[in-house]
Amino acid sequence: MALPQLIAEDVRELDRLLGDLVTRSEATAALIIDKAGFLITQSGDTSKFDATTLAALAAGSFAATQGMASVVNEPNFNSVYQQGEIYSLLVQNVEYDTLLMVVFAAQVSVGAVKYFSNSAAPQAARQFDSARKRAPGKTLDLARMNLEDSSEFFRKVAQH
Amino acid sequence: MAIINQATKELQVKVVFYGPALGGKTTNLVQVHEHVQTQEGQKGKLVSLATSSDRTLFFDFLPIEAVAIKGFKTKFQLYTVPGQVIYNTTRQLVLRGVDGIVFVADSQYDKMEDNVKSFQNLEENLKTLDLDLDEIPYVLQYNKRDLPNAAPIEYMEFLLNNREMQAPSFGATAHKCNGVFETLNMITRMLLHKFINESNRVKQLV
Repeated sequence: MALPQLIAEDVRELDRLLGDLVTRSEATAALIIDKAGFLITQSGDTSKFDATTLAALAAGSFAATQGMASVVNEPNFNSVYQQGEIYSLLVQNVEYDTLLMVVFAAQVSVGAVKYFSNSAAPQAARQFDSARKRAPGKTLDLARMNLEDSSEFFRKVAQH
Repeated sequence: MAIINQATKELQVKVVFYGPALGGKTTNLVQVHEHVQTQEGQKGKLVSLATSSDRTLFFDFLPIEAVAIKGFKTKFQLYTVPGQVIYNTTRQLVLRGVDGIVFVADSQYDKMEDNVKSFQNLEENLKTLDLDLDEIPYVLQYNKRDLPNAAPIEYMEFLLNNREMQAPSFGATAHKCNGVFETLNMITRMLLHKFINESNRVKQLV
């Protein structure tokens, strides 16, 4: 199974879910992440940190936890929680391809964050499920991409 | 698998630099990070999860955006894997969702066995993820061409590029940034062509 292509409606719904989660749990930010490490969408105040990097590291950390689970024959390590002095993090499984990450101030109750994440994750999973069932014709038309435009996608800075 | 976000007209692609230990995978990312042209403030951060002696422990990660593709934001995420044999589980984790691969081989004669073993290991690890090297765009980079004991390119082609479909290959001296951008631009071209072809195929089916 692969992540479906997302349309505006999907992203809107995911943003709404994340926004609700942030407000209700008093978290700083919430992110939906692909398990390959891509940031899908985010809500809350992410200006203080690099969300792209955070997403890649969260996916790696969650994958490592899943690896440990299989070593000890544990079928269900569903989340990773890291308590800090300033910020704490919770990374939770959403479905086969995606994760939910919540960044919250250390004084915010982890119980509340877990409670609201537990209800947000299945809702996000349903949204991915409905995107998956959508007609394949409604995909982004990549054929309009003009590759002949450029022989170099990445350019070196000229040497001084 | 790449992410296509129609809402933001964004394509996110994962490229993994694979190869034997101390072959120059991390050096490739460091050079891209140092030399890539970006709009001001757009430069991604290079993250290295490495040991105190600078050996990659989990992965290096560099997000960059390709220029000059009309109407689309194409975000590339470059990863390396740890080359050392013992870290195979970690390599499998990093390969998850890979779209394209750069295999960085070490040109030194005495590293040929490591190169071949690492290439075989790549094929095996892809299989565990239900992926097949025949279906994933990849490029070979023969690094360390500046060393006196570098094997001829033809010999390396014979050892590493002998599959039915030959992959594009580049000689490189990564620490001087020679061949680094050539390799990166080739894998980018191959990936975008693949996505466009898939997109066309979907249109024909509808």
